[in-house]
Amino acid sequence: MQQACDGASGMSGVDDPATGGDVAALPEADVMDVLVDLTEPQPRYLDLIKAGGFLQPMDGLALSADRETTEHILRHHELFSSRVDLNLGNVRPLIPLNVDPPLHSKYRKLLDPLFAPKRMDEQEADITRRVNALIDGFVDRGECNFTDEFADLFPTSVFLGLMGLPEEELPMFLRLRDGILHPEQHDPNAWLDPDARASVMARTGQEIYDYFGALIDERAAHPAGDVISGFLEAEIDGDKLTREDILDICFLFLIAGLDTVSDSLTCFYAFLATHPEHRRMIVEDPSCIPNAVEELLRWESPVPSGVPRVATQDSTLPNGQTVKQGTAVMIIYGAANVDPAECPDSFDVRFDRDTNRHLAFGGGVHRCLGSHLARRELRITLREWHRRIPDYWIKPGHEELQYPPGLRHVKDLTLAWR
Amino acid sequence: MTPSGRRYGRFPVRVSIDHNACTGHGRCYTLAPDVFESDDSGYGQVRVAEVPPELEDQARAAVRNCPERAISIDER
Repeated sequence: MQQACDGASGMSGVDDPATGGDVAALPEADVMDVLVDLTEPQPRYLDLIKAGGFLQPMDGLALSADRETTEHILRHHELFSSRVDLNLGNVRPLIPLNVDPPLHSKYRKLLDPLFAPKRMDEQEADITRRVNALIDGFVDRGECNFTDEFADLFPTSVFLGLMGLPEEELPMFLRLRDGILHPEQHDPNAWLDPDARASVMARTGQEIYDYFGALIDERAAHPAGDVISGFLEAEIDGDKLTREDILDICFLFLIAGLDTVSDSLTCFYAFLATHPEHRRMIVEDPSCIPNAVEELLRWESPVPSGVPRVATQDSTLPNGQTVKQGTAVMIIYGAANVDPAECPDSFDVRFDRDTNRHLAFGGGVHRCLGSHLARRELRITLREWHRRIPDYWIKPGHEELQYPPGLRHVKDLTLAWR
Repeated sequence: MTPSGRRYGRFPVRVSIDHNACTGHGRCYTLAPDVFESDDSGYGQVRVAEVPPELEDQARAAVRNCPERAISIDER
């Protein structure tokens, strides 16, 4: 549990004798713990880097924590394939997440234009309107459950609008998302019982395929000029997308599009609500917002470890270590983002950095398809919120922040401004 | 050369994108909009290959901030 005002500045993990000694062998529990306890992971990320950066806590499993190794793995998709079974209730590989080049590139050629910056420019007014409509709902109350009343709703509604999906069905989409990403919300047994968890996810996965299947059939009969109609028309190398291709893209869109920005927003606002100086910087100079977004992405890394890769052959890393074929490699983006070799003052959160090459959106060919949309939503939220609610804090009594497993997000982040 | 090692006002610097390395993060055209622009898919394109002195800071910011190190400057 993180206490409020436990600031990021003042961390001296680099010189901390507790972590600066012989870290050649971190206990396996400590290594795996970094994947589970997401409250304040940055010091533990630094431990992983100091323990060598590329750790193999058990046979067949590796974690990549340092920047250099991570860049190498992301760049060499031929050595580290994305064709892994994610067990997210999907019955086929997700597209394009679980596809390798050269086929991957063809899917991205089709999908990238949908989320290009120029398309996002067209959405600016609509996104601004949605942010303000949500703020209207609680601004006079002087407080809100930011997670439930803003973060969960705003990116979802933007995404549905972009996809041409009905906004009235927003609660249903959130329920489908939760069935995959937070199955314990459907069945409390899913917290601890892996079978219960798998069962919820499988059931929800089928519902997702059924929903989009019906939608595809409807659009095939009555084209609507929307994204799904576009998929039905599209061709890759002269071939139409199959019905299953379209289902596998939609499945990915649902789970990737509905959670990530929501989670980012809760992490951002948990930080800002506990760091008055940073809030003040945004209010006094809104031109720092784009840099603030990049820096908060770097520090918070809401998607801490992304999609695992699998080694396609034995190979040697830049640091000289060898990786055996078949090893599952988890890339810890959050760790690469605080690697002192890349960023010497990495434990300072600074909105005035002149260099910030973070990997919060991943890297290599699988760079997040939605990153331009995400950045736009985050920037607009910071702009509009601070224009209307320039000062705010964690509501007294709610200082204990909970970061449940999954992507980094704060449950029930409660803010007050009166 | 100035103490920072940069040359002002004598030669333009030449900037380029390695398109095999570019994965469309978009830092270049965000930080250096007078030097780079986005194509229709979000990947970087050079607008001004021979960068005049007044745009050199932008160009160097792009070099520093590309997560894929896809941007380079050829000092002449």
